[in-house]
Amino acid sequence: MNSLPTNPLLEQFLSESRDLLESTGKKLMQLEEVPNDQDILNELFRCVHTLKGNSGLFTFPEMTRVLHAGEDLLGMVRSGNLTYSRELADRLLDAMDFVGVLCSEIETTEKIDASRASESQQMTEALRMLMPSLTSSDDAPMAAGPNGRVANDPIRTVDDPGSGPPSLRSIPDAVRIAALEQCRQGDQLYWIAYRPQRECFFHGDDPLNSARQTPGLMWGRVLAPEPLPSLTEFDTYSCLIGFDLLADAPREELDQHYRYLPDQVEITTVRPMWLVSGQGVEDGPSKASSAANRTRSLSDADEDAFNKILAAQRQILLLEDRPAWHAGRLKSVADVLTNLSQAVGETSTRTDILAAFEDASATDHNTLLLAWLDGHKNMQSNAGLQRLAGANDEIAIAYAEAAADTGSSLEIDAGKVAADDGLKFCRRAEDTGNVPRSLKVDQAKIDRLMNLIGELLVEKNALPYLAQRAEVQFGNRELSREIRGQYSVINRIADEMQDAIMQVRMMAVSFVFQRFPRLVRDISRKLGKEVQLVLEGEQTEADKNIIESLADPLIHIVRNSLDHGLEMPEVRRARGKPETGRLTIRAAQQADRVVIEIIDDGNGIDPAIIKRKAYEKGLIDEATLERIGDQEAVNLIFAAGLSTAEVVSDLSGRGVGMDVVRSAVEKINGTVEIESEVGKGTSIRISLPLSMAVTQVMVIEFDGQLFGVPMDNVVETVRVPRSEIRAIKQSLTAVLRGRIVPLKALNTLLGIPSIPTPNANDELAILLVQTGSEVFGLMVDGFKETIGLIQKPLGGFLSGLSAYSGSALMGDGSVLMILNIREIA
Amino acid sequence: MSIEFKKNRAIFRDEVSVEEAEGLLEWLQNRPSAKADLSALSHLHTANLQVLMIAKTIISSWPKDAELRAWVEPLLKSGE
Repeated sequence: MNSLPTNPLLEQFLSESRDLLESTGKKLMQLEEVPNDQDILNELFRCVHTLKGNSGLFTFPEMTRVLHAGEDLLGMVRSGNLTYSRELADRLLDAMDFVGVLCSEIETTEKIDASRASESQQMTEALRMLMPSLTSSDDAPMAAGPNGRVANDPIRTVDDPGSGPPSLRSIPDAVRIAALEQCRQGDQLYWIAYRPQRECFFHGDDPLNSARQTPGLMWGRVLAPEPLPSLTEFDTYSCLIGFDLLADAPREELDQHYRYLPDQVEITTVRPMWLVSGQGVEDGPSKASSAANRTRSLSDADEDAFNKILAAQRQILLLEDRPAWHAGRLKSVADVLTNLSQAVGETSTRTDILAAFEDASATDHNTLLLAWLDGHKNMQSNAGLQRLAGANDEIAIAYAEAAADTGSSLEIDAGKVAADDGLKFCRRAEDTGNVPRSLKVDQAKIDRLMNLIGELLVEKNALPYLAQRAEVQFGNRELSREIRGQYSVINRIADEMQDAIMQVRMMAVSFVFQRFPRLVRDISRKLGKEVQLVLEGEQTEADKNIIESLADPLIHIVRNSLDHGLEMPEVRRARGKPETGRLTIRAAQQADRVVIEIIDDGNGIDPAIIKRKAYEKGLIDEATLERIGDQEAVNLIFAAGLSTAEVVSDLSGRGVGMDVVRSAVEKINGTVEIESEVGKGTSIRISLPLSMAVTQVMVIEFDGQLFGVPMDNVVETVRVPRSEIRAIKQSLTAVLRGRIVPLKALNTLLGIPSIPTPNANDELAILLVQTGSEVFGLMVDGFKETIGLIQKPLGGFLSGLSAYSGSALMGDGSVLMILNIREIA
Repeated sequence: MSIEFKKNRAIFRDEVSVEEAEGLLEWLQNRPSAKADLSALSHLHTANLQVLMIAKTIISSWPKDAELRAWVEPLLKSGE
């Protein structure tokens, strides 16, 4: 690996893409075993959806195109319009491999080579071919693209260069002869059939300009539809015309020029033979041939070329294997032979070859073709070439070159047949052998390291006790001092280790935030909206797991806000708001939680619409529809399968999104809340734990034992004189800060035979805790310090004790039980 | 405006963008015998070319730009 992307965003995109590609591949395989598993299918779809969305951040049209097709395909499988098949999986895996290759390419060169455009196009078409006719499906609007267009495009049917050598008849003689001359000198010419999409003006294309700017343009013409529409029914903004172009620029330059329009452009390498006189020999005398009457004997090179081609065909026919593209292979041989005999002027043999080919395809035996080949070998190389020798200089050379050309392009043809079959065998993603720079470590390994460091921290605390024993018990002051000295060193190192392991896991939210400026800019541009993005608290740090799992939900929320939330500038003006919408993403640490808010001042969510949509999609029944309140209705947007967008776009509206957001957030013990006011805006608040590894607990003392209470639950600690505690019926209460707070004694909750002991001033220690919205006072004996510790779940027999959420080791080796306030309340 | 509309003649200058196509079409619809002067034209958007083609507008003078002329002449000749 030679160089790495300098752009951190790109780097992140690549590493994420690799992960996503990997899981996509895994899911595809899983699906082969359980083809109807909706969960896997959903996840697969999300993976591809995210990949596509991410690739849209950069200018990688080649990648986005393939992924879009893949997404559409999966969308159809998901909605049941298409059944999952092995073939489908093959194509998708190929497509993912291709994307992987592109990733590697981006990693080394930071761009995708323009020559990939045609591959991407092939790949996309291969995917789209699997889809049933899509004219009525609104699930995949893009799918109507290349294929749907061809059917109703009058130009395309007039002259379709896709099936065989394009007609070069229309090229004026002067240009043709010049081109032929260039071919003879070894230049590569290209025939470009450019058929702009009808709606291309809306994409900002000017086909005439693109055609005029074609690099190395030698000749071009405009194809007009027949008949022309009348002036009254003509739509100014639909492009009707197409172009045929001849260019001598290198292929890469042409690909680069048309890289955004590969589905509208067909670039064919011009074979010298085609230039001799348009399509074929029968086309009447051209200037070139009529000018010639001089005979000439054959050169050795010509004959050599012929024999080589024949030998190659023979070899192909003798191949033993019968791959899926065998039929294509036969056809290719037949075509080559036909072209060859045509090239030497033996047009009559065409029917023989055709018959032999048909026989071969029908019987799966190549004998007839082989026989023909053997029988004609001599005739062709002698009689045929003799006849050829009668032709003029230019033609002879052109023929020979054409023949040589056909021979050398044979491999490519065969490769193309294979590619059409959907198999990209020589392009596995693993082949590229790029090693990513960042070291990927299994989470479990880090966890193990952290546990070990935790144990070390506990264990080192045994040293002061040892020092004390050395002094007191054995009277060795010297040794005691030395142990203490060692202890302080170990202590420092252990602390640093803990710090280091935490740092390994801590990340600033800017890691996620930094992609938003570009994302917001691009999306708002696309939608024609004016948006000002405000990022706050980017330096807020949290555990890696938390930050990483935040990325997807945040992107979905931001996309939703931009797509559905913020209005178009005109609408905003009409509503008396500033034209520029404001999207605020704010991160802040609140106690041991990270709170992230995404606030827009857009449309807000109309509960009525959500309710109706949810009902239509069958997410709620009629009774619920009547019953639920506005806030509940707004919360329905977190339900799976609900999308309020009318049109499916590449932004949102596929019904994935908010449910993914919620499940992702909940998976990391977070909560997500939404508040929305119609016309004013929406605020989504995600609250996440700072770290999943370290829990902050407050240590309390009761009956000589220590207990931990998670700081999440602690409101405050107070000391209340015993005289101020009153009993209301069976319950004890106290008035704290003007509020009546119920008190519960820890002994009754845990069944400890002891009562809370007041201190010297006859005051009781009360720990004010809350669970949910309920606040109560816990009567204890005393408060100790607050510590961060690594909580371990109770195992085995103890796991049945719901009063404790876990245990942890203290510095002196004692065990601290962590109370589960929710359970004991 | 890079198209100047005279009484019965449209004069095209420099570059004519896609926005002009609609206006051109409207103008030509009302003047079937109108002529177009392309002599000072350097590029016209495809949409405008289509309008001229479909309206079979007579070209009073061809672009001085020989390359552009080669593109448009075969298409617009029929109007003559």
